[in-house]
Amino acid sequence: MTEVVPARSLLEIHKLTVRFGGLVAINELDLQIAEGEIFALVGPNGAGKTTVLNCISGLIKPAAGNIQFEGRELLSLPAHKRASLGIGRTFQQLQLFSSMTVLDNLLTARHTQLQAGILSGMLPFGRSKREDAHARQQAMETLTLLGLESYAQRRAGSLPFGAQKLIGVARALVLHPRLVLLDEPAAGVPPQEVQELATRLRFWQKELGTTLLLIEHNMRLVQAVADRVCVLDYGSKLAEGDPKTVLSDPAVLEAYLGRGASKAVQQEGVSHVEG
Amino acid sequence: MTQKPAVDQELAPDVVAQPELTGKKTLGGRLASQRVWLGCIAGILALILLPMLSDLIFGGSSDFQLHHISLIGIFILAALAQNILTGYAAQPSLGNAAFFGVSAYVLTWLSSDLGQPYWIGILAAVVVSALLGLIVGTPALRISGAHLAVATLGLVTTVGALLNFWDTTAGRQNYDLSNLPDFLNDDRTLYYFIFAIVVCLLFLSYHLLHSRVGRAWIAIRDNETAAEAFGINLTKYKLQAFVISAAMTGLAGSLYATWATTASSSMSSADQTIAFLAMIVVGGLGSLTGSILGAIFVGFLPLLLGQLPSPMVIGSFQLQISTLITGIYGLLLLLVLIFFPSGLSSLGTQAGNWLQRKPSKGGTE
Amino acid sequence: MSAFLQVVIAGLVTGSLYGLLTLGIVLIYRTTGVLNFAYGAIASLCACFMYILLTGPRLNFWIALVLTLLFSLLLGIVLERGFARPVLHAPVFTKAIATLALALVLETIAQAIWPQLAEVQHFSTPFEGQALHLGGVYLSAIDIVILVVTASLMLVLNLFLMHTRMGIAMRAMADNIPATRLMGASVGRIFMLVWALSSFLAAICGILLAGQSNLINVQFMDPILLPAFIGAVLGGLDSLPGSLIGGILVGLVSNLLAYFLAGHMLGAVDMSNPAIRDTLIFVGFVIVLLIRPQGLRGRALLRRV
Repeated sequence: MTEVVPARSLLEIHKLTVRFGGLVAINELDLQIAEGEIFALVGPNGAGKTTVLNCISGLIKPAAGNIQFEGRELLSLPAHKRASLGIGRTFQQLQLFSSMTVLDNLLTARHTQLQAGILSGMLPFGRSKREDAHARQQAMETLTLLGLESYAQRRAGSLPFGAQKLIGVARALVLHPRLVLLDEPAAGVPPQEVQELATRLRFWQKELGTTLLLIEHNMRLVQAVADRVCVLDYGSKLAEGDPKTVLSDPAVLEAYLGRGASKAVQQEGVSHVEG
Repeated sequence: MTQKPAVDQELAPDVVAQPELTGKKTLGGRLASQRVWLGCIAGILALILLPMLSDLIFGGSSDFQLHHISLIGIFILAALAQNILTGYAAQPSLGNAAFFGVSAYVLTWLSSDLGQPYWIGILAAVVVSALLGLIVGTPALRISGAHLAVATLGLVTTVGALLNFWDTTAGRQNYDLSNLPDFLNDDRTLYYFIFAIVVCLLFLSYHLLHSRVGRAWIAIRDNETAAEAFGINLTKYKLQAFVISAAMTGLAGSLYATWATTASSSMSSADQTIAFLAMIVVGGLGSLTGSILGAIFVGFLPLLLGQLPSPMVIGSFQLQISTLITGIYGLLLLLVLIFFPSGLSSLGTQAGNWLQRKPSKGGTE
Repeated sequence: MSAFLQVVIAGLVTGSLYGLLTLGIVLIYRTTGVLNFAYGAIASLCACFMYILLTGPRLNFWIALVLTLLFSLLLGIVLERGFARPVLHAPVFTKAIATLALALVLETIAQAIWPQLAEVQHFSTPFEGQALHLGGVYLSAIDIVILVVTASLMLVLNLFLMHTRMGIAMRAMADNIPATRLMGASVGRIFMLVWALSSFLAAICGILLAGQSNLINVQFMDPILLPAFIGAVLGGLDSLPGSLIGGILVGLVSNLLAYFLAGHMLGAVDMSNPAIRDTLIFVGFVIVLLIRPQGLRGRALLRRV
């Protein structure tokens, strides 16, 4: 929790710049995320948090800068090759494969770890069936770990929002990724369940040895789990450091609540800021 | 752009099973796969016994009826091909009729003009179609939505015009397929031949659609962004869908030429495109059973309406039955699109859900 | 030289006909998201209606014209209520298939009530046989009518879209439906107006085409529907002037190709056959699409994640 300077970086973002038309969404952002830590990216809506994640998973091409994952340059890789390096992610709007069963969602997430092509896929025996059986077993293990095994054969799109949210996480974790990008895991989660979510995040980090990069508006969650926090505002880094110090920084409060309001706000006041 | 159809619940009936019944290898899952197996065996038995049944019912005209039923088999292949491309991989291509026509001409040309064996002709037709699928698919991936629909429909009419132009240039009225192996001249063996191929391809497709490749296609359909983020190479899988679909349509086209013993430029026409689309839309996008139901529907309609006198006179109106058939296709297609957007194959499960008071809800998207 | 000029003028005339169709296609596509493959059938239904008025009750040409245009407005409203509204929220592809089906239904209806129009019939106009000679260039009266009608329709339509409340709302809707709702314009009424307007355009195009060739049957619009769609896509499917230009371009290119290919043989292949011309146009269209996927002047779309 106190380890401020990372010993070994898993992900290094260097001078990342993204423009949409004339608008600068990310401006020369530098970030280092250490192996095994939980790193939170916070900031008001439109600050460019999701854009950073999209750059890492390759859905957006930045205008400048570079991103290194375990010393390997990511930006030169097409999006579909990045997952196989061990980067999993969730989305703000879930983006589940809604017509598939939950189990198939997880199998699809393991796409890069399977090999079957058209010919072997057509056969009722052989490699395709063997590796699918293995992947299915691993997917069930992940579902069991998250307590979701009873949903395995349900259609993902037919489940309640909270369950879908967790399935999004399961889909990211089933790869046993080195790094998981979580886009607002607490959004839409009832306040009384946020504490449980925090416990889960800690558990995944410990149990699976996963590094977590999360975007979050819920400051209670950030304070509970994050080792380090970075505040983004208008695409630039406003502050970075351990959650307690950073989240009580007047400049940060101002960015969230507008000029003048920050002085009146107590520490507890920002505990649950919703954009 | 494309519809998000309900999951193929017919083939995965356990998706609505109670959670406590599901697990690694559950009772529900086992029952489901048993049901699929029983269905398959029953279907194959029915196909084998159908000619005998036809003898009993139709007597002398039995072979003629079987000949017509064989056409439904060809339609099943074409519907399956269109469904893989459109219902699974979500590519709104209207271009399959072009492969249907070209493959028929390739087979007829090799077999009738060059005197090559029939089997070489079929093989060449399928390979040419697959190559055309690759040639069409590569640019098609860069063109999206409405543009793709226009471009592929343009492909179909252009290819049809070129085939017709070839007929005119060569100065022929009909392009007849000769040199058929003997057993294909017999309606009964032709029936068995076509349905043997259909059963094989249904079997292979079922496995393909439930494999890594099929999941990748469905993932692209459900959510392209997430598919890409989870390492699915969009270009590769869309292109594979184009090629597989074209090859299968090519097989259907050359079988159609075999069935009709002639190749015709109208095989690559807007009307043919509508027939293919009608099959998968009426049957159900993204459903194997849907492809079968849709093909049966489209194939049986002329058979039923053919019993009516032509031209038909209603009051002061009179209609050629062939016109009426296309009109009724259109009308039924419209009605299905408006009232049952997920097709016939979803009706069974919808009824089941309704009986169990479990309305099937769409996903939060 | 005058032969070439003649071809260019013929190209402009054909292009104007295409342009009228592309205009209607894009108008519907932009506002309601329907890629209307039934547009040719609508045009042909209206032209057939006029033919029946001219030959059945033997009405005066102008009275028949006015009645036909009223019929087209009504047809548009009926189609909007009976067809477009029920499928409004379906995906674009489903709607496109639905219009293919609609085309079949409309053609069947036309053939059922007017069986004589299954065969090609003579469509006469007051302009038949009249022509103008201008310095070696031959201009038939109907060609002049086509050019004048297209130009004035464009002008009126432009004024309507730019300066009337309804027109502005219509343009706003082409961009964003919820915003139009907030503005207080009735979306339903705009949809109805768009369909009425576009079937009005289709009727005019159908009548002009029938008048130009003096021939009509139920399917006489089929061959020009695809060029019109190609024009619409080239125009980017998103702007009305762009679509008109796209349509004119296709008409012009088609006539120029016919001019240059006439009498040429490539081996045993007769290059002047319309099939070759259409193929070349189609190939050119695909190449343009590959170089500029958004059409010649369409805007590129931002992808949102």
